[in-house]
Amino acid sequence: MGKVRFFLRESWLLIVASGAFGLLLAVTNAAWQDRIEANRRHKFESRAAALVPQAETFVEMDPIRVELGGGKTDTVQVRKAVREPDQTCVGWAFAAKGSGFADKIELVLAVDAAFETLRGFAVLSSNETPGFGDKIKNAYFQDQFKGAPAAVLTLVKTGEPTQIDDQIVAITGATVSSEAVVHIINAYVGAVRDAMQDKGWINDGR
Amino acid sequence: MAAEGMTTRTSRTFVAGLWHENPVLRLLLGMCPTLAVTAAVKPALTMGLSVIFVLVCSNVAVSLMRHLLKPHLRILMFTLTIATFVTIADLYLKAFLPEMSERLGPYIPLIIVNCVIICRAETCASKNGLWISLVDAVGMGLGFTLTLCVLAAIRELLGTGMIFEKPILPVAGPQGGWFVPWTAMILPVGAFITLGLLLGGVNLITRRTKG
Amino acid sequence: METLQVLVLGFLSIVIVNNLVFTKFLGICPYLGVSGRIDMAFGMGCAVTFVVTLAGTLTWMIDHWVLRVLGLEVMMYVCFILVIAGAVQLVEMYVRKFFPALYESFGIFLPLITTNCAILGLCLFLNLWDTRRLIEAVVLSFGAGVGFTMAICIMAGIRETLQLADVPACLRGAPITLITAGLLSLAFMGFAGMIR
Repeated sequence: MGKVRFFLRESWLLIVASGAFGLLLAVTNAAWQDRIEANRRHKFESRAAALVPQAETFVEMDPIRVELGGGKTDTVQVRKAVREPDQTCVGWAFAAKGSGFADKIELVLAVDAAFETLRGFAVLSSNETPGFGDKIKNAYFQDQFKGAPAAVLTLVKTGEPTQIDDQIVAITGATVSSEAVVHIINAYVGAVRDAMQDKGWINDGR
Repeated sequence: MAAEGMTTRTSRTFVAGLWHENPVLRLLLGMCPTLAVTAAVKPALTMGLSVIFVLVCSNVAVSLMRHLLKPHLRILMFTLTIATFVTIADLYLKAFLPEMSERLGPYIPLIIVNCVIICRAETCASKNGLWISLVDAVGMGLGFTLTLCVLAAIRELLGTGMIFEKPILPVAGPQGGWFVPWTAMILPVGAFITLGLLLGGVNLITRRTKG
Repeated sequence: METLQVLVLGFLSIVIVNNLVFTKFLGICPYLGVSGRIDMAFGMGCAVTFVVTLAGTLTWMIDHWVLRVLGLEVMMYVCFILVIAGAVQLVEMYVRKFFPALYESFGIFLPLITTNCAILGLCLFLNLWDTRRLIEAVVLSFGAGVGFTMAICIMAGIRETLQLADVPACLRGAPITLITAGLLSLAFMGFAGMIR
């Protein structure tokens, strides 16, 4: 009993303070958590909406597990882009990530309803070199993906960027960042399509 | 009489934080966030204001508790206090300034181990009254913020030709202009070298004014 | 086999490509303070490696098995820093008991490892990078320590030679060390993109 008393006498302030601070944190968290969640959702949906303009709402599907090759897996939350009032599917959007030149790159990928062509990609977060790798956010690079086939894309150094096919022209001076984006898209598109076919959300090929 | 002594002590404490005991340039504390967030003025300002918030809250809290602290548990108490207020600052940024929170990333929670705050709690707040602790916190915080902003202004101006995302120097491009941005300034290289030269400059000024 | 490949690549990436000191600006304070001599630098690096491996593993476990399960993510920072403080305390007691000479030579630097941004920084990065498996967390923490040790030993070697050079008076000490670190980070940039 003496030991417990000694312990309490020495650390009562610590215990009281821990309780007080814990309470403060819980209250702050409860007050702002909804806003934080809304911010996160808004960030994804505003990017996805720009890629799929006909969409009016995004319906969250069940999370699916995808195999990305090289031992990596990810849990992807696919969102169905629907148009009211009959809830017709006008496309799909999901987040994909991988490593770029400097740090991780996170993208929003959008595909059409049949998962045959890409609607394009948007950058959710990246830390690429400003003026070089940062150009993955520019129209020159992003436009090449709009309408490209949802198949394996190859990166080329020179070519015709306005021709929409499975060849993507790299950004001058940002080969690693361009390669990273193409690699992420290749890894995710095939894997997500297989997983969605397994779930029966899209048909198997014709 | 007492009021006069108080005012001079207040102003002296305040000014110390800005120059003589500037946390970054003189005491060489808090280097990690200084280098990491000063690529542009906006994140630097956000970081500086967050540090002022945490410094003020923690100094006030520690000063209020100072008579109740047990000596061998005090560092733990400081750490707990600082961690709580940093979490609150982080939640605020995530809720109201999500792009800044994204950009600053893990460097906001790293304010917890920012030596500036623990040092001030140890050397000042645990020994002085509420008012002096508050003034010290504001002075140190302002000194930190100003240093960060100066560093960020140099790096952003030379690295992109803009300050606070407003174009200042005409960047060479299709519309004409002569300034080719030194991209290296925004990279880690620019951070280290600019801070090193800035510290060298401060040393030079100190030497000249002393000798 | 694929797991081993992921681990090896992860280790190499954090030691060389994403070195905590040169790319993430973590651990600068002890970096400036202790890199005067190679033996001290190496000792500091070893201590940091030990603490960071221990702290990284413990915080990953607490984050995944306690905080996320109970929905207490808001307590993450408080828990992390308390775990790190506790780990440093344990290491200190262990070193004082079994290696008293080493303890003497470290002096104040051992308890100061708690405020080393590299340790809390790594725990936060493990969280940010969404590390899924415990073994990955262990390997990445160990790699971070090794990267820090490598960076600090390179700097110590350069500084020992720099003592013979004629550095201008206003740049002696921290300024020239920072400029050197800048040039080193430029060199390390060459590794970027090496590992996907």
